[in-house]
Formats: sequence, C-alpha cells, structure tokens
Amino acid sequence: MTEVKARQVTFKLQRYDPEQDDSPHFQEFRVPASRGMTVLDGLIYIKETEDSSLTFRASCRMGICGSCAIFVNNYPYLACQTQLEELGSDRLMIKPLPNLPVIKDLVVDLTSFFDAHQSIKPYLIGHDKEEMENPTSEFVQTPQELNEILQFTNCIKCGICLSACPTSASDELFLGPGTISQCYRYCADNRDDGERERSPVVAADHGIWHCHLAGACSEACPKGVDPALAIQLLKRRLVSQALKPGRKQKPASVKPHHQS
Amino acid sequence: MGRTYLWLLQMVTGVVILVSLSIALVSTHLPVVLNLLGIDAIGQVPEGLAANRAHPGVWAGMAGVLVAIILYHALSGLRNTLVELVPSAKKARIISWVIIVSGIIILMGTIYVPVVLFSR
Repeated sequence: MTEVKARQVTFKLQRYDPEQDDSPHFQEFRVPASRGMTVLDGLIYIKETEDSSLTFRASCRMGICGSCAIFVNNYPYLACQTQLEELGSDRLMIKPLPNLPVIKDLVVDLTSFFDAHQSIKPYLIGHDKEEMENPTSEFVQTPQELNEILQFTNCIKCGICLSACPTSASDELFLGPGTISQCYRYCADNRDDGERERSPVVAADHGIWHCHLAGACSEACPKGVDPALAIQLLKRRLVSQALKPGRKQKPASVKPHHQS
Repeated sequence: MGRTYLWLLQMVTGVVILVSLSIALVSTHLPVVLNLLGIDAIGQVPEGLAANRAHPGVWAGMAGVLVAIILYHALSGLRNTLVELVPSAKKARIISWVIIVSGIIILMGTIYVPVVLFSR
C-alpha cells in the first residue's frame, strides 16, 4: 500500500506580543491541507497543535460576523471563507489588517473604525420622534426604494474596505469607505430623516471629499458590497443638497392601521 | 456643507482651466493645429489676431481671473494633500491659513505682471 502524502502549506505568520516583543516578527508553521480547508481552519490547526499562544479573531466561521478579516499574501480576506486551494500557493504570508493598530498577533484594534461608524449615526432617524419610539404601524417601502440601499445593508463591518483603502493608509483620520457607504445606506433610506445630522460629519476634513476613488474597497469587499459606488452616490446627494438646500427625498408612507 | 462647496469649486475651476488652456493653446498655435489637421495654414493666419482686436484691459482682466482660478485649484489641492498627511485639527488649521495667506500673496504678485504687460 502506498501512503498518499497530504499537501503541506506553509503559514508564515506575523507575530507580535506588545508585552514581549519590540517589533513584529514572522514565524513559520507547516499545515497539512485538505480539500475545502480554509485559512481559518489552518490557523485553528496551528493554535490547537503547534502554538496555543497564537492570537486571532474568529466567531461564526461562515462569513457573517466579519471577525476573522486578515491579510493573506498582501490582500485582505475573510479567513473563514477563503479556501487554501483558491489562493493557489503553498506559502501564505499572513498578517493583521493594515491601517489599524495591532493588539496582538493577527488581532487589530477596531476602536477607531467603530468610532467612525458610530459618528454617522448608523440607525434610522425619524422626524416624528413619537412614531419612532412607539410605532403605530409599519413604513411602506417599494422594492425599487429598497433596491437603492439593499446591497449596502449587506456590510458586515469587517474592516476589510478600510484596510484596502489607499487613503486610509496615508490619512489615519479618514472616515473610511465602510463608514461613508453606511452613511449613504441610511441617508438614501426613505424611512430616514437624518441626512442633515450626518452630512456635516461626512463632509468635514478627512471625510468623503478625501476619497480618491481608487475602488480598492469595492474590489476587496468579501460580501460583494460596492462602497465606492455608495461614496459616489453620497457625493451626488451632498452636491445636490448644497445646490438646492430645501430639497428632500420623498419620505416613506406609513401603512394604514387596520382595526381588527 | 462648507467642504462640499470647496470641492465643487475645485471641480468647476478644473473644468474652467481645461477649457481656458485649450482655447489659449488653439488661439496661440492655430496655424500649427491646422497644419496637424492637414491644412497648410502656416503663414496664412495672422499671429495674435484675436489678441490684437481685444482691449488690453480685457486681456489683463482675463489673465488675472485665470491666475486666481489656477491658484485656487492648485492650492486647494495642495491643502487637501497636506491635511491628509496631518492627523491633527490644529495643524490642519495652520496649514489652511498658511495656504490662504500664500495664495493672496502669490495672486497679488502674479496679477501685477499681466496688468503691467497689457497696460503698455
């Protein structure tokens, strides 16, 4: 009987422990690869069998939570939905997401990313506060109105767009493609009335007008969202608002309440 | 909204510069342009015909406006680039003021030249 040798993939991992290391360094591990194995599976294998101190984030393992975003061979991926086969290499250089401070090994500090996201008030703001807090009936939104924002609601806030963005690389205060596209997602939602509150945030320095339209965010997004498109659409809204200050989008109607 | 107007103005000035430069290039080098299109016009088209017909004051004014537009476009772009590299609101304000003051000084200096030239 001849024994079939499993394919070996070398994981060259960036390691950094701020309590022990002065600067990041690389460490190599050999991982037996099997069909369908993901980068996250490889990292879990290393943690379970080689080095339990290896630190990385992961949760859902199905591309929903966005926790496991990492840099593989100088490109950002979700580790859980990237199979070793599709990378087409037996050597993987794995680093934490760039443009964000490293906490340990592959874990980055996403505080600035979520602070920026929070600054644009990522929730529906209604002009009728009473109706928003104690809704009497539901809003009516047509399929066409929903389609205008639908793809942008798929954002999982993984931070991959920010790590791929060349503006974020040079401007650490840049709001980032994810935040700006989410701003568009809420402003373009006809149930929302908060554009006036969000506009000053995105139209400030380090905001939307600093986007160079490189398109790297849209290319890298693991959920197929097109943040570059959202940024352009939001630019159009802001210019339109600046030229015609009183203009507002048609608000969503409220479904008549039926007595039972 | 302030940044939106500044960005819009930069786009508009960019288009104006492009159109103005095209007009300037064609009017200055019309015979060469026609020659490129296969029309032998070298020596046929009087040099500076339009310029000679116009009042010198008009040319001085146009040159002044064009200088102002180019300066705004260039300095606004420079400010955006520098602000991107500076992660501090205080330093960004200093950059803005240095650029505004330099812009005014350069504008006054460069407008003086066409005014003198066209006033002769």
